[in-house]
Amino acid sequence: MHPLRPILRPLLLLLLAIGLVPFTATDGMAADQLVVYSGRAERLIKPVLDAFQAKTGIQVNLLSSGTTEIVNRLQAEGDRTTADVFLTNDAGSLERARELSLLLPLELANIEQAIPASFRALDNSWVGLSGRFWVLVYNTGLLKPAEVRSILDLADQRWKGKIAIPNAGSEYLQAGVSVIKAVYGDDRTQQFLTGLRDNAGTSVYGKSSQIVDAIAKGQVAMGLVNHYYLYRYVSDHPDAPLALSMLDQQAGGMGAIMNVAGVGIVKHSRHVDAAKRLVEFLASREGQKLFADLNKEYPLHPDVLADPALPKRESFRAATVPLTKLGELREPTMALIERAGLR
Amino acid sequence: MSTGQQQRTLSDAALRLAEERSRPTVLELRKVGCAYEKGRPAIADMSFSVREGEILCLLGPSGCGKTTTLRAIAGFEPVSAGAIYLAGRLVSSPDTLVPTEQRHVGMVFQEYALFPHLRVIENVAFGLQHLPADQRKAQVRTMLDMVGLTELERRYPHELSGGQQQRVALARALVQKPVVLLLDEPFSSLDPDMTGKMREDLRDLLMHTKTTAVLVTHDHEEAFAMADRIAVLNNGCLEQFDTPEAIYHTPATPFVADFVGQADFIPGLVENGTVMTEIGEFPNQVGYQEGTKVVVMIRPDDVHIEPSDHCTARILARQFRGSENLYTIGLPSGHVVHSSESSTSVYPVGTPVELQVIATHTVLFEQDHPRKPKG
Amino acid sequence: MNMVVRQTFPTSLSVIALTVAGLICLPLLFIGYLALSADPSVWGRLWDTRIPELLLNTGALALGVSIGTLLLGVSLAWLVVRYEFVGRSVWEWALVLPLAMPTYVLAYLYTYLLGAGGPVEHLWQWWAGPEARVLSPYSFTGATLVMTLDTFPFVYLLTRAALLNVNVSFEEVARACGASRLSVWRRVTLPLLRPAIVAGLSLVILYVVSDFGAVSLLRYQTFTYAVYQQVTGRYDQTAAAVLSLLLVFFALIFLITERWFRRRSRFYQTTGRYRTSPRQPCGPLGATLITAYLALVLGASFGIPAWLLIQWTVSATAEGAVDARFFGFVWNSVALSGLAATAAVLIGTPLAYLANRWPSKLNVACLQAAYAGYVLPGPVGALAILILASHLIPFWYGTVLVLIIAYVVHFLPAGLQTMEPALQQITPNLEEASRSLGLGTFRTLRHVTLPLVKGGFIAAWVLMFLQCIKELPATLLLRPVGFDTLAVRVWLEASEEYFQLAAPSALLIVIVALPALLLLVSKDWRAA
Repeated sequence: MHPLRPILRPLLLLLLAIGLVPFTATDGMAADQLVVYSGRAERLIKPVLDAFQAKTGIQVNLLSSGTTEIVNRLQAEGDRTTADVFLTNDAGSLERARELSLLLPLELANIEQAIPASFRALDNSWVGLSGRFWVLVYNTGLLKPAEVRSILDLADQRWKGKIAIPNAGSEYLQAGVSVIKAVYGDDRTQQFLTGLRDNAGTSVYGKSSQIVDAIAKGQVAMGLVNHYYLYRYVSDHPDAPLALSMLDQQAGGMGAIMNVAGVGIVKHSRHVDAAKRLVEFLASREGQKLFADLNKEYPLHPDVLADPALPKRESFRAATVPLTKLGELREPTMALIERAGLR
Repeated sequence: MSTGQQQRTLSDAALRLAEERSRPTVLELRKVGCAYEKGRPAIADMSFSVREGEILCLLGPSGCGKTTTLRAIAGFEPVSAGAIYLAGRLVSSPDTLVPTEQRHVGMVFQEYALFPHLRVIENVAFGLQHLPADQRKAQVRTMLDMVGLTELERRYPHELSGGQQQRVALARALVQKPVVLLLDEPFSSLDPDMTGKMREDLRDLLMHTKTTAVLVTHDHEEAFAMADRIAVLNNGCLEQFDTPEAIYHTPATPFVADFVGQADFIPGLVENGTVMTEIGEFPNQVGYQEGTKVVVMIRPDDVHIEPSDHCTARILARQFRGSENLYTIGLPSGHVVHSSESSTSVYPVGTPVELQVIATHTVLFEQDHPRKPKG
Repeated sequence: MNMVVRQTFPTSLSVIALTVAGLICLPLLFIGYLALSADPSVWGRLWDTRIPELLLNTGALALGVSIGTLLLGVSLAWLVVRYEFVGRSVWEWALVLPLAMPTYVLAYLYTYLLGAGGPVEHLWQWWAGPEARVLSPYSFTGATLVMTLDTFPFVYLLTRAALLNVNVSFEEVARACGASRLSVWRRVTLPLLRPAIVAGLSLVILYVVSDFGAVSLLRYQTFTYAVYQQVTGRYDQTAAAVLSLLLVFFALIFLITERWFRRRSRFYQTTGRYRTSPRQPCGPLGATLITAYLALVLGASFGIPAWLLIQWTVSATAEGAVDARFFGFVWNSVALSGLAATAAVLIGTPLAYLANRWPSKLNVACLQAAYAGYVLPGPVGALAILILASHLIPFWYGTVLVLIIAYVVHFLPAGLQTMEPALQQITPNLEEASRSLGLGTFRTLRHVTLPLVKGGFIAAWVLMFLQCIKELPATLLLRPVGFDTLAVRVWLEASEEYFQLAAPSALLIVIVALPALLLLVSKDWRAA
């Protein structure tokens, strides 16, 4: 008798059992189920997906993670992925996923009607769902609105220790810097980033909600965040001394930095039909209204109105850098951010 | 010397020997060799046999291969040459290795190797799992009774003294009724004060149970006290295989002579058919040629001294050993002999003495080839 | 019917051991390969932008925490060993409790306690006026404080054990030679304690440089946090590999230096019979002061955090946070950790068995290789396995298996340390004795070997199981779709400052960690 038989046998069984996990998980997935990889905060997207599930009976399994992590993961998983839909809050990452052929080009007439072409990939591999603007939120007790006009002003030494910024890993900071780089070129962008880094000091946050919180508490005077974080905070703290400023609206200014949250169908999805229904739902009036109401984002469907508390979309200009350019700008922008020493 | 040996007279031993010779052979080693491996001395060309009921001692200094031999018999070490037969069955050869569990040997390890997770009674019953419970119980009880451990049967090994642990190890091995019991330095981890009593007890137990045993030791007194026959090993080779008495009085090699007790070697020359030495003449029993340079082995108990003013040998030192005085005598040539005198004969150091050598056997070795013995 | 048995099984076992050891080393080797084959411009860029800062931050944190734990650990050990006061033995035990708090739990509680508008700030403002601010937890000081409070028991435990072993005769001799109390302490006691203190500090330093939970929640830039950010924020993982290799390199240098110093200080070990110092009774004032000090340290490191967790758990439960989803996380944690611990015990057995029973160079090398997980801090090991899995076994990427591999690589060293002594206590003679009593190899294994190693192996399993439950960085990076564990939930909720929602998971982790802690501590505990 082999002396290690009793040890080897359970080991083999264990390996078999574990090895089977991914396959059973894949095979057991019924047609009316969808796996959604989401780079958006779970709290923001889950209600929308719940609404879809309630309406269609298609069960949605949600994996929330970092956007870049998901792109890396989709790439590694290749054609063995269990994911059907990729949903995130950065057009640059969606474009990157398209470049890596991770997404399935779509031909859906009703989507092309619903969402303007400038918010979609050229081949419709991804579709924008909601717009967000990178704005300056400030504490009304610590700053007057006229003091900052352009985002480049934030590099000014007078704001040392007064500004909070997201960390370098956040996709919308990367997207924002890409826009600035496209408009002003590398040197001025670098100058801006170095100044911003010095002014922010240790006020570098992982979450936008933390930035708004810090401003409301007066720890810093202002901060750069996506606009909806302000409205979400104010709905919980109506008395917070907070206000918002759309930057670069002066004559000849580049306009406010815009990004979209969007969705794409994973190329190797085994549930393309159900995935299409989800995309259609998200782009439909009903889905768009959820984004507008729940998340205080600007719906991209021209017929759906933004939350009345938000500045009217017509009242400010957006930067004209095409969203599809964010993908290719990503790596050079990251190099720039790193060289400037942002964390 | 222990009381055990003194009680036995030479004639008793001779009688017993004759009786024993008629018994069947239980264990036989034929030209056994074990190749050297790290942490284990090699053995070569090892041949001896053990008869039923006999106690054999493997005696030798550490590293001589005695434990390797024992482990080869047990089946823990494969052999690279020769063959081992147990109860007439081939158990080891270069291409045979019957596993230990099929050899029916009992083994008592140096540190006893009692199972620390089992009580005394469970340790003893360990090898009897194949028996029905009541039989098993009865055998274990009898055995525990025999070794006097009945009171301690519920204890764990760590709650026992060294001597008690040894008895458990013995009981555990003997309850199997082994073909041969193998004991590896069974007294080495015991308090020296109690080994005398333990040796007697062990010998009695082995006799009582008519157990054939092979015992490994580096202590010649222990071997003399326990063994019917002794195999002296050195450097992996068998130097001599004989009764304790023969080993002591007529050692086959200087190594054996030296290893089993105090021995002095006095040079001499074969002249006119006798061996001429500084301390007298000895018979040339083995017939060395005229002019051969030889050495004579002298044991202290063969040398008697008398103070005598006109003698040139002098006492260099005296060691009082209780039952005897051991004198170191310096000869004019510078050689030294030892003499054992009664404990009441006390002479001061420096006393000139006369030597009287009274030897029953003369043991001679060639001077130039001390490793090639004769006689 | 002679049965020929050639002793071949060590060799076939060796193949298993070699394979396992190779698999365990593979991630480390791969990281090294990736980093060293990286474009020199990547190294240049990192050197210009990140490395000096990370070195400085990591080094400063290690130094700061060392000083903090040195002061706390040694003073606490001194007090509980050399003085007698009411409740002394309770304090002696209680001071190890902070080890039950994973760093991310303590860090998350301190972001609340010290955070803007938090209770400490309120207290301070009540005392010093409304404009007063307390130190920010998101700073060097904050990270140092949290890590110190979490790790001082290492120094405390080792110093305490050494103090109990100090032969009081040495001190008495010194006093007889006319040395003052202070001088005795400086010239006799302290040098005798030094090896223990150094050992404790080196544990602390290794803990600090490989910690991810606290620095990530406190946003303090160290190597581990930077590696994590590189992994999650970049498409190209070369830079992460470079930083990882550097961290592993520094950890190795540190370990080697530490070992060297320890070998030099071997002669300090006292052997033979000794007498311990009698405890000095203290008066009511002394007892009050000592108790106040102990209460302050233990309150800050365990009492207040634990109380907060309980309170929040109660309120979160009242709001329905402990629902089916929560129990799903519990199940994920338990199943995953159970599988990983079982796999680690099974994998560790042949390695430890071979190296201890047939200590050939190869077998020992295999065992040593398994200890490589020691120099792989959590995020680094996770990164290595992530890259390796995505290159070699992409179809397993994102499955539980990859996560289990990461756990095994990371926690096998800790398990082996418990398994090895268990195996060592069985001398080969025991197995041989059993075979001489007629039991075959298999029955010997069942009746002798297994019963004897059972205790040690169960302890190793429990230990690794609990480590897995606490594990954060690898789980964050490698977990499968929608597969959150308790630790991940704590971190996710805490980083969004949903303090109450994080509490039930955190409290459960702490409660589960307690028995393991007591198990570990009681092994070497000597209540003198």
